[in-house]
Amino acid sequence: MEHIYQYSWIIPFVPLPVPILIGMGLLFFPTATKNLRRMWTFPNILLLSIVMIFSVDLAIQQINRSSIYQYVWSWTINNDFSFEFGYFIDSLTSIMLILITTVGILVLIYSDNYMSHDQGYLRFFAYMSLFNTSMLGLVTSSNLIQIYIFWELVGMCSYLLIGFWFTRPVAANACQKAFVTNRIGDFGLLLGIIGFYWITGSFEFQDLFEIFNNLIYNNEVNFLFVTLCASLLFAGAVAKSAQFPFHVWLPDAMEGPTPISALIHAATMVAAGIFLVARLLPLFIVIPYIMNLISLLGIITVLLGATLALAQKDIKRGLAYSTMSQLGYMMLALGMGSYRAALFHLITHAYSKALLFLGSGSIIHSMEAIVGYSPDKSQNMVFMGGLRKYVPITKIAFLVGTLSLCGIPPLACFWSKDEILSDSWLYSPIFAIIAWSTAGLTAFYMFRIYLLTFEGHLNIHFQNYSGKKNSSFYSIKLWGKEEQKTINRNFRLVPLLTMNNNERASLFCKKSYRIRIGGNVKRGALITITNFGTKKAFSFSYPHESDNTMLFPMLVLVLFTLFVGALSIPFNQEGIRLDILSKLLTPSINLLHQNSNDFEDWYQFLTNATFSVSIAFFGIFTAFLLYKPFYSSLQNLNLLNSFEKRGPKRILLDKIIYLIYDWSYNRGYIDTFYSISLTKGIRGLAELTHFFDRRVIDGITNGVGITSFFVGEGIKYVGGSRISFYLLLYLFYVLIFLIISSLLLFFFNF
Amino acid sequence: MNFFPWLTIIVVLPVFAGSLIFFLPHRGNKLIKWYTICICLLELLLTTYAFSYHFRLDDPLIQLAEDYKWINFFDFYWRVGIDGLSIGPILLTGFITTLATLAAWPVTRDSRLFYFLMLAMYSGQIGSFSSRDLLLFFIMWEFELIPVYLLLSMWGGKKRLYSATKFILYTAGGSIFLLIGVLGIGLYGSNEPTLNFETLANQSYPVALEIIFYIGFLIAFAVKSPIIPLHTWLPDTHGEAHYSTCMLLAGILLKMGAYGLVRINMELLPHAHSIFSPWLIIVGTIQIIYAASTSLGQRNLKKRIAYSSISHMGFIIIGIGSITDTGLNGAILQIISHGFIGAALFFLAGTSYDRMRLVYLDEMGGMAIPLPKKFTMFGILSMASLALPGMSGFVAELIVFFGIITSQKYFLMPKIIITFVMAIGMILTPIYSLSMSRQMFYGYKLFNAPSSYFFDSGPRELFVSISIFLPVIGIGIYPDFVLSLSGEKVETILYNYFYR
Repeated sequence: MEHIYQYSWIIPFVPLPVPILIGMGLLFFPTATKNLRRMWTFPNILLLSIVMIFSVDLAIQQINRSSIYQYVWSWTINNDFSFEFGYFIDSLTSIMLILITTVGILVLIYSDNYMSHDQGYLRFFAYMSLFNTSMLGLVTSSNLIQIYIFWELVGMCSYLLIGFWFTRPVAANACQKAFVTNRIGDFGLLLGIIGFYWITGSFEFQDLFEIFNNLIYNNEVNFLFVTLCASLLFAGAVAKSAQFPFHVWLPDAMEGPTPISALIHAATMVAAGIFLVARLLPLFIVIPYIMNLISLLGIITVLLGATLALAQKDIKRGLAYSTMSQLGYMMLALGMGSYRAALFHLITHAYSKALLFLGSGSIIHSMEAIVGYSPDKSQNMVFMGGLRKYVPITKIAFLVGTLSLCGIPPLACFWSKDEILSDSWLYSPIFAIIAWSTAGLTAFYMFRIYLLTFEGHLNIHFQNYSGKKNSSFYSIKLWGKEEQKTINRNFRLVPLLTMNNNERASLFCKKSYRIRIGGNVKRGALITITNFGTKKAFSFSYPHESDNTMLFPMLVLVLFTLFVGALSIPFNQEGIRLDILSKLLTPSINLLHQNSNDFEDWYQFLTNATFSVSIAFFGIFTAFLLYKPFYSSLQNLNLLNSFEKRGPKRILLDKIIYLIYDWSYNRGYIDTFYSISLTKGIRGLAELTHFFDRRVIDGITNGVGITSFFVGEGIKYVGGSRISFYLLLYLFYVLIFLIISSLLLFFFNF
Repeated sequence: MNFFPWLTIIVVLPVFAGSLIFFLPHRGNKLIKWYTICICLLELLLTTYAFSYHFRLDDPLIQLAEDYKWINFFDFYWRVGIDGLSIGPILLTGFITTLATLAAWPVTRDSRLFYFLMLAMYSGQIGSFSSRDLLLFFIMWEFELIPVYLLLSMWGGKKRLYSATKFILYTAGGSIFLLIGVLGIGLYGSNEPTLNFETLANQSYPVALEIIFYIGFLIAFAVKSPIIPLHTWLPDTHGEAHYSTCMLLAGILLKMGAYGLVRINMELLPHAHSIFSPWLIIVGTIQIIYAASTSLGQRNLKKRIAYSSISHMGFIIIGIGSITDTGLNGAILQIISHGFIGAALFFLAGTSYDRMRLVYLDEMGGMAIPLPKKFTMFGILSMASLALPGMSGFVAELIVFFGIITSQKYFLMPKIIITFVMAIGMILTPIYSLSMSRQMFYGYKLFNAPSSYFFDSGPRELFVSISIFLPVIGIGIYPDFVLSLSGEKVETILYNYFYR
C-alpha cells in the first residue's frame, strides 16, 4: 500500500524523457530524428499508459481508504528562506491524474493520424508530452510555489501549441494573446501566493489552511488584506479557466491543431483553474466575499459563454465558447460550495468535450480535402452540412457528445449538470434561473452546431451555382518546404494574404462572408497543390470518413461519455447509500450547504431532472425550428437568411434575434474593447516612454555634448593664435583690473 | 595553506598571454583564434581548479588572499582575494568571455588587436572582481574601459563612433565620482591612506560624510549598472557593438556596477545604505516598469534587448535595497542569471543579424522556416528572459520578491505597492519579449536576398547557445548551485546592519 504512494513522485517525470530526447534529436540530428517519426509516438503513449495504470491504482487506493499523502524535499536551503518540492496525493489529485492520462492517451493516439502529414509531427509530440509532464506536475504539487511553477509551464506549452503553425500570422497573434492573458492571471496568482506567505509564513497546503483558519478564528488578520490576497489568487484561476474578464484568449486558442484544443483547451489545462480553486477551497471558504465573487464570475461566464456561442461560424470557436460556459458552471458550483458537483462536472465535461473536439477534428480533416487547408474554410460550418451521409461514425460520436452536453439523461453531463442546477436553487434563485435558462441555451447552440454540420446537404457543392467570383487564395496552408517553393514563385501572393489577414481581423461581417462562399475549389486546388499527395483536392469530391486511428479514440470517448455518469449512481452497500464519487470525495467536502440530508430525495431528483430535461428539449426544439435544413439550395447558407425570410410580421422578434446575433458575432464587443483600451493604452505608454527616453533623457546628454562642443569651438575661436587679438584682450583685462583696483583704493581710503 | 599565487596568475595571465599575440607569426587568423580560445579555456580551467580546491564555501572570510606592496610611498598594495560574493561573477566572467571569443570567430579585420582586447578585458574584469584594495579596484575598473572603447569604436556598426564616445564619456564621468569616493575614503581619518577593504569595512564615518561618499559611489555604479536616469549609453552601445562585445557588455560589464554596489556601498557604508535603500527600491521599481515599456517602443532589435536588460537590472537594485538575506541572495542570483541570459540573447540577435542584415523588427518576419535551430534557441531564451519557471531568471526574481516582502525595514503599505508594481513588470516582460520573437520568427515573408544567406546555426553557434542555456536551466532547477556560493558572505554583510 504505502509503497505505491512512496513512488508516486515519479508520476510527472515519466513522460519527460520523450520531449527531451526529441528536442535534442531535432537540434543535433534533425534528419535522423525525423526519419524515425512514428517510432517516437510509441514510447510517448507507452509512458503515458504507465502513468495511467499508476494513477488508476492510486485512485483505487483512495476509494478504499481515502487518505492524504504528502512528501516533501527541500529545494533551496538557506537560513532565512527555504523552498520545498514534494508531492501531495489525495482524492482530487487522483481524479485529475486519471482524467489527464486517459484523455491524454486518447488524444495522442488520435493525433498520430491527425498530424501525420504535418512537417512538425515530432515537434507536436514533444510539446504534447511536455504538456503532459507539466500538467501531471501541477496536479501532484504539494505547495503553492510548485503550483505556480507548473502553472506557468502549462501556460508555456499552451503558448507553443497554439502557435504551432507559426507561419500563420493569426496563430502567432493568438498564442501571444493567450500567453499574455494568462500572464495577467499569473501576476495575480504570484501576488496572492506572496500575500498568503506573508500572512501565514507557509506554502504547504495543509499548514496554510490550518494557520489561516486559526488566524481567522482568532481574528488576527486584516480582513481587507486577506480578501485582496484571496481574490488575487483567484485571478490566476480566472485567467487559466477562461472566466469572464480574461476569457478572450480561449476562442483564439483554437488556432492550434484540433487535438490540442481537445486536450488542453477543453479537458485538462483549462480545468486547472477549477482544480486550483478546488484545492484552495478550504482557504476560500472562510472568506464569504470570495465565495460570492467566485459564484458571481461563474454565473456571468455561464451566460456570456452561452450567448457568444450562439452565432459562431467556426465550429471550433463555437465549441470553445461552450467550454467557457461549462467551466463557468463548475466555477459556479465551487462558489456555491458544492465541491462534489463541480468536480463531477469537471470529469463529465472533460470527456464529452474531448469527444466533441475530436469529432470536430475528424470533420475538419475530412473537409480539408475538399475546401482547402485554411481554417477559415475547413472549420467553417457554412461549408458543411449533410455530413452524416459521408462520415457516419463521426456523426454518431458527435451526436453523443452533443446530447451529453445538452444534458439528456443517460449521458454523462446530465448527472453532473443536474446536480449543479439543483444546488443552485438552494443557493440563490436568481442564479438558479440564469443557470437553468442557460442550460436551454446550451442545448440550442450545441444542436445548432450539430444541425449545421451534419444535416441538410453539403453546402460546398452549392457554391458553384452562386456564380460569384472570388479571390481564391484562402486555401493555403503555409507550411512545409514543398509548398514554400510554390509560394516563392508566386509573387502576387503576399498582398493577397495580407488582405486575408485584414479581413480576418475585421471580425468578418456577413457581407464579406457571402463573397467568400463562392466557387474557389478549383483555383484553390491550383495553388495548394498539396504535399498531401494521397488526398484529392478536386472539386465535387465528397468528404471521407477518417481513419481508424482517429475513430478509435472517439469511440472510447463515447464509451466514457456513456458510462461516466455512473460514478454518481448510488449503490447499496451495507444499508448505506454510497456512490463512488462521494466515497472518493467525502473527506474533502467542507461546505455542502445541504450536507445533512444523507438520504437521496428521489422525488426531488425526479422533478429537477424532468425540468432540466424539458428545458434542454425546448432548446433542441428551437434549434430544429431555426436550423431545420432547407432543401432549397442556397438560402440557408447564411444563417441570417433564415430570419430574413420570415417576413415583416415578426420584425420585433427579428430585431431581438438580430441583436443577439450581432452581440454574439462580435464576441460581445469585449475583444474590441480590450484591443481599444488595453492594447492601445500599452502601445501609447510605450510610445510615450520611448519618446521621453529619447528626447528628454538622451536629449539632455546629447545637449550637454553639443553645448560642450560649442563652448570648445568658441574657445578655439577666441584662442585663434592672433597676436593682435591677444594684445587687445590683455589690454582690456589690464584696464578692468586698473579700474577695479582704483575703485577699491578709492573706497577704502575714505 | 596555499602559497601559490593563484589569483595573481589568474588576473595577469590573459593580458600577458594576449600581448604575445602580436609576436605570433603571420599565418592567417586561424592560429590567433585557436591561441585565444586556448588561453581562455586555460584560464577558465585554472580558475575552476583553484576555486574548487582552495576555496571553502563555509568560510565567509577572504580566501586565496595575496598582499604585496607595490608602490612604497603611498602605501599602494597589490591585494587580491575572493569571497562568496566575487566567486560567482569571476566564474561567470570566465565562462562568458570564453564563449564570446568563440562567438567572435567571424571577425577577421584586425583580428590580432581584437583578440588582444578581448583578453585584456578578461584580465580587467577578473581583476576588478577580485581586488581587495580600493585603489586597485579603481585601477582595474578603468583598465577594462579602454578595451571596451576600442572594441566599440573599431568593430561596431554604422554609428559606432557616436556610441563609443557616448560610452566612454558616460563611464569616465562616472569614474570621476568613483575616484573622488576612493580618495575620500582612503584619506579620511588617519595620516596614511587606508585602502584595504577589511580595515575600511570596520571604519565608521560621520553621517554627512558617509552620505557624500555614498552618493559618489552610487553615481559611478549607477552609470555602469545602469540605473535609470543614467542609462542611455547602454542601448546605443549595445545597438552598435559587435555581438561578441555585446555579450561581454551585457554579461559581465553591467554586473560590475551591481557588484560594486554590494561590495562598496553596502559593505563599507552601511549607515548611508540603510538611509538610501528606500530610494534604491523606488528607483528600481520605476526602472523595471520604465525600461520594460520603453523596450516595447523600440524598433531596433538589439536596443529592445538592451532595454530588457535594463529592466532586469531593476530587480538587482531592489534586491540590494531590500536589506534582507533573501533579497541580497536574489540580487546575486539575478546577477549571475542575467549574465547568462542577456549574453545569450545578444549572441542570438547578433548572429541572426548577420544573416538578415535587417535591424528593425517590423522588417523581419518568417525566419523560423529557414532557421529552425535559431528559432528554438531564441524561443527558449526569450522564455528564460521572461522568467519562466525552471529557468534561472524565475528563481532570482522570486527570491527578490520574497526578499522585499519579508523585509523588516519597510511598512506594509509600501511593500504592497512595491510588490504590485514589480509584478506589473512581470506582465510587460512577456509582451515585449514574445512580440520580439513573434516579429522575428513567426509569420512568413519573402526575402529578396538569395537563399544562401540563410544557413541555420552551425555547430559552433549551436554550441555557444547551448552551453549558455545549460547553466540557465541548471540554476533554474537547482538554484543552490549559486546560492551556496554566496550564502555565508551575504549573512556576514547583513550582520553589520542588524548588530552594529
